[in-house]
Amino acid sequence: MTQRFRPPATALRRLFVGGAAIALVYVVLAPLSSTDAGQQLGLPFLTDRLWFRVATTVAMFVVLASAWNIIGGLTGYASFGNVAFFGLGAYTTGVLVSLRQWPFGLALLLAPVVPALFALVIGIPLLRLHGHYFAVASLGVGVAVGEVVNNLQPLGASTGLFLPIVRSNLLFFYLMLAAAALAVLVTWVILHTRFGYGLLAIRENEEAAAVIGVNTTFYKVAALMIAAALTGLAGGIFAQWNTFINQENVFPIEYNVEMILMAVLGGAGTLLGPVAGAVTLELVILRLAGGGAAAAYSQIGLGVLLAVTVIFLPRGVIDFFGGQSRLSLWALRRSLRETSV
Amino acid sequence: MDMKGKLRVTLVASAMLATACGGAATTPSPSIGSTLVIGSAISLTGSQAKEGNLAKQGYDLWYDWIQAQGGITVNGVKHPVSLIYEDDQSKPDLSATLLEKLITAEHAQFILGPYGSAATATDAVIAEKDGIPMVEANGAAQAIFSKGYKYTFGVLSPANKYLTGVIDMAATLSPKPTTVAMLSANDNFSVEVAKAVVDYAPSKGMQVVFNKTYPAAAPDVSGLLSQVKPLNPDIILNSGHLAEAIAINKAAKDLNINAKIFAYSVGPSTPDFVDALGKDANFVYDGSQWTPQVKYSPQFYLSVNQYVLAYKTKYNATAAPDYHVAESTAACLALQKAMENAKSLDPAKVRDALASLDVMTFFGEIKFDSRGINVFKPMVVEQIQGGVHYTVFPPDVANGQPQYPTPAWSQR
Repeated sequence: MTQRFRPPATALRRLFVGGAAIALVYVVLAPLSSTDAGQQLGLPFLTDRLWFRVATTVAMFVVLASAWNIIGGLTGYASFGNVAFFGLGAYTTGVLVSLRQWPFGLALLLAPVVPALFALVIGIPLLRLHGHYFAVASLGVGVAVGEVVNNLQPLGASTGLFLPIVRSNLLFFYLMLAAAALAVLVTWVILHTRFGYGLLAIRENEEAAAVIGVNTTFYKVAALMIAAALTGLAGGIFAQWNTFINQENVFPIEYNVEMILMAVLGGAGTLLGPVAGAVTLELVILRLAGGGAAAAYSQIGLGVLLAVTVIFLPRGVIDFFGGQSRLSLWALRRSLRETSV
Repeated sequence: MDMKGKLRVTLVASAMLATACGGAATTPSPSIGSTLVIGSAISLTGSQAKEGNLAKQGYDLWYDWIQAQGGITVNGVKHPVSLIYEDDQSKPDLSATLLEKLITAEHAQFILGPYGSAATATDAVIAEKDGIPMVEANGAAQAIFSKGYKYTFGVLSPANKYLTGVIDMAATLSPKPTTVAMLSANDNFSVEVAKAVVDYAPSKGMQVVFNKTYPAAAPDVSGLLSQVKPLNPDIILNSGHLAEAIAINKAAKDLNINAKIFAYSVGPSTPDFVDALGKDANFVYDGSQWTPQVKYSPQFYLSVNQYVLAYKTKYNATAAPDYHVAESTAACLALQKAMENAKSLDPAKVRDALASLDVMTFFGEIKFDSRGINVFKPMVVEQIQGGVHYTVFPPDVANGQPQYPTPAWSQR
């Protein structure tokens, strides 16, 4: 298998890994300071409701970006329809909890299943398409599913669904964090198995992969189903966390754009790239949200940032730390050579 | 209002706080208390920027007035107000985070509602979880109020009141109309409007002879109207949107359908309706939350005329304020009065005061039922007469008489 050459760890890389590890420990442990036990121990308050809201949102986008990475980054199929999986997962939980009175825990188990089955159904025809054709077709699916849900009376139509209020911030944070860990773990497993090598082979040259014996249809559909299951899981958690779901808040096409930006910015096809991209970008987005004109300019900024990343750091930010990308004329020439057809 | 930074509107408030904290007391009585923070995550950019900014105009009108009074008097202490906005960019998914930011980071003690049903529902959940009272004026979805939430109040008349006022009015006219045809778009709000009419009309001795829905934003309604024609109903009602209201009116003329009353839920109140139809717009009725002609005798704040003038002065406008502006101001008034009545800034006590509020304002009576909906304010009925809007029902707030029956198309 053609593993890219990795230079020995640099100081920059060590700094990055160390910083990330400290941040992770903080994020995992800080919420405990808000528990009763934590307060009895006299811990200082490290979190508040806003902290939980932001941290849970960031963890959610780690799931979305990592899941997108499996189909978009590893397999090379740029899906603009993943938001449909998110919405389907949310609606699976939403319908079961609010209309069928299922307990949330049980309903959540089905949140990945329904989107995965849906991915199976649409994946077989859609994944026969390549490049732009696949992107456009998947975008169509993403928009269409939302519109259909918006018109189905049994699903609450445009009124949406209300779930019973669950007040625990801690629960949803750790659930989303666990989903994020699961997404990274799944990616890691894929990257280290024959299945993952098959996906990479498809990305690099699908015909060649087929010739050497990769069952491309099976591999591609399986990759889409895994992405759908993870995305749907995040949707299911979101439904109960947000309490109110409707077409507008669980099928927003911006989510799909954001998860792609995050994966590409961080490093599509890498293990931790989408994580770094999701954390960085979502923190920036939430920081600038509500800022009126600043928010509008930030959209432009994000576009420029993406362009710069793609040109100078085609393998993403994560690769910059210890990888081959450099902010130099030489790197620019190399990346242009690699990315131009 | 500038749109820079966080859109903080603290001007006088912070100055007053500074002097109060510095101990440099200005006037001894009444004493000046802490600055009271009210937050709203509202659509200032994005697809709903127009409506969102109208709501903000309504909030700002009240803000200017209350600051000129020196603040809200709670238990003998005047509290200056700081009104903080966050722009949700018309994205309901951002609304929750922004509201949490307002409450946690900006220390908002009370919430004014956002624009749109999805954002309102999202914010209602946060208000409920955090125990912060929210008064909203721009969320039509009734589902929000059927969940037993205790902290959300809406000053609007609910959807089911939109056209029942027309039925009430029709019952007073002579010769009394007896048959109703109802055409409704299939969106949530319009269906709710239509259902209420279908349920209500028989109680006024009217028979619903036609009741069908069409897809929202349907390009062609003439097929439906040709089904209506042989039934020859006295009243033709539409609950839908501007474009469909115009299309129905045109089709009625083309098919020469001569009802005694044409009334549409949304559309006729806008200038676009008159522009598009010219004199064919005359005689058409609509239901409205508020009009600049209503005659209420407010217990506090401004009279209707003063309000219209204040609006025109502040925004350098020639037209009277839209009802989005008025209802948003009304939300502020409800919050203010509740704090005064509660004699406390404790969120739970203000919530209780909101629940028992009963006050007359320029917008009409504000009083909430057990769900938190203002069912006590009537909708008014407007009619276009000679290209001008007149409020014709109920009689005690009207400035015109209904021109009835609508003459046949051939005799206009």
